[in-house]
Amino acid sequence: MTRFLLTEDKVTTFIEHLQSQKNVFAPHKRGTNSFAFEQVSDPASVELDYTRTLHSVKKFFMPPREQLLSFSLTDNSFTEPTVDPVDAIFLGVHSYDLQAVLKLDHNFSEGNPEKNYLKRREGALFVGVTFTPDKWHFSGSVGINPNDAEGFDVFLFAVENGYAVEAFTPEGEALLDGFKMSEFDSDIPAAADFNQHIYVPQGKLTEVFDNAWDNEIWEETSKECVGCGTCNLVCPTCYCFNVEDGVDVTATVGQRERHWDACMTRDFSEVAGGEIFREELAARQRHRVYRKFKYISDKTGQPWCVGCGRCTASCSAKISIVNIVNKLVQDHEQATVAPV
Amino acid sequence: MKDLYFPVMAEITGVKQLSPMEKLFEITLPGGADLDHDPGQFVELSLFGVGEAPFSISSSPTRKGTFELGIRNVGMLTDVLHRMEAGEKVGIRGPFGSGFNVDDFKGKDVMIVAGGIGLVPVRSLINYVLDNRDDFGRLIILYGSKSDKDLLFTDELQQWADDPKVEYHVTVDSGSEDWTGNTGVITTLIPGLDLDLANTKCVIVGPPIMYRFVLLSLNSKGLPEENIYMSLERRMKCGVGKCGHCQINSSYVCQDGPVYHYPDLADLQEAL
Repeated sequence: MTRFLLTEDKVTTFIEHLQSQKNVFAPHKRGTNSFAFEQVSDPASVELDYTRTLHSVKKFFMPPREQLLSFSLTDNSFTEPTVDPVDAIFLGVHSYDLQAVLKLDHNFSEGNPEKNYLKRREGALFVGVTFTPDKWHFSGSVGINPNDAEGFDVFLFAVENGYAVEAFTPEGEALLDGFKMSEFDSDIPAAADFNQHIYVPQGKLTEVFDNAWDNEIWEETSKECVGCGTCNLVCPTCYCFNVEDGVDVTATVGQRERHWDACMTRDFSEVAGGEIFREELAARQRHRVYRKFKYISDKTGQPWCVGCGRCTASCSAKISIVNIVNKLVQDHEQATVAPV
Repeated sequence: MKDLYFPVMAEITGVKQLSPMEKLFEITLPGGADLDHDPGQFVELSLFGVGEAPFSISSSPTRKGTFELGIRNVGMLTDVLHRMEAGEKVGIRGPFGSGFNVDDFKGKDVMIVAGGIGLVPVRSLINYVLDNRDDFGRLIILYGSKSDKDLLFTDELQQWADDPKVEYHVTVDSGSEDWTGNTGVITTLIPGLDLDLANTKCVIVGPPIMYRFVLLSLNSKGLPEENIYMSLERRMKCGVGKCGHCQINSSYVCQDGPVYHYPDLADLQEAL
């Protein structure tokens, strides 16, 4: 497919071109060193060169709180909520975050397909951009590189003085229609290296996790962890939720809402009567990491972690999932390699 | 696409006090429709403004027109529910999960080990066997309870005790003055049983601590592991394999369970 050159000085005009077609959501700077996906009002405020957003684009398809139904207490009737497709362009999405969306698509389609999520996903278009790995990214270790365009409608490959733009779907081609750019016929420069790695081939992760249950790292990590659940909330592939009813001040109507939940919190596995099945922090940490590298992976053949680094970057104790996995790998290698 | 989270509005058509803490609710779906469940499955019951929770179905699918839920008053939702009366509405989703595959039990001796409120879900299977009595061999019921005051379904317990085709044994941890039956934990009932080991299918349902001891006991009795089934309790918030609350390793209790064949559970850490 043809690539075009989008020079740095034309980026805002390009965003305006996108805005003329649909609403555009893109990274914006928030605070000193934080970024968030928000609807673009001023194209000049979009940050295409950013580390990572606090939350991934997951929040648009599975909102932190959403109504499942509204009810009337006077006659015990309920009403279906209106769920609209997110008919928008997501600009400046990193490859790991799109991979996370594809994983959520799997989780919400398999078994019992879920209407709310799948409805919202209709119509969303993704324009990716190359990222420069910072100290927390490690997506290369789970097979996702900064220039991976899989799943994108359009990708902006970082090149000198701008971006090489390529459309990958008919919808992506339509987004570029009418925007004048010259052809780009050089090679795409290699993306920057990652600064941290999981030192094991992906195919071997299954084997490592088969032998990781009793590793001391879980107990060690739990000495630092406070069980706040932040790692779950910022994870682009975490989708566990709780459901609660709320009643308005008139006590006549209310709504049933689901909200993001976190398996790192103590009451997550609690049942009526008070029994808690993962009472220890070590057990909860192990559950979280196993969910990313074993439980779902055994069924799908892929790690369910995309290497965005959010769980570590946002952790107040800086508990590193990379260090945890590397320790498991190291202990596994020592246990399985015969002494010389 | 079907909405996963919309309940059907059903009516409470009967309420019976089972014990100081437990009540049995008879629920009727609109038009008296059958719930069409397997013994051992569960439903999500909701009260608008209060919430939703999973409950095992206590009645056998052979008893048509209504279904029953035996519910302990232990939290906010159950507290409100315990104040409700016949004629009031509840939301029902389900049935969900994998129940007992009764075909596995046909032609075999069926042994039930129920501890405390564990009798509630397993009653669906007991009554299924009683309603299809000729399809099964012996029916052996072991029931353990904290005290004789906590015994559930006392009318039915008496029927089982009187039924020559049911071998019913009960024990309580500590009995009141007028208790004349067995005293001691449920495992004390096992050594004295004369079982056709290869031909006996055993179902265990009770509090987490009970499983470990009953399994040890059955093991020393020589019962093969592939003849053991159990039902596990977890907080199945959605019932449809999405919310993550009931997950044990890679298994979702709301999908693969709550009834598990013991050999499938043996590899699941955190299950028991």
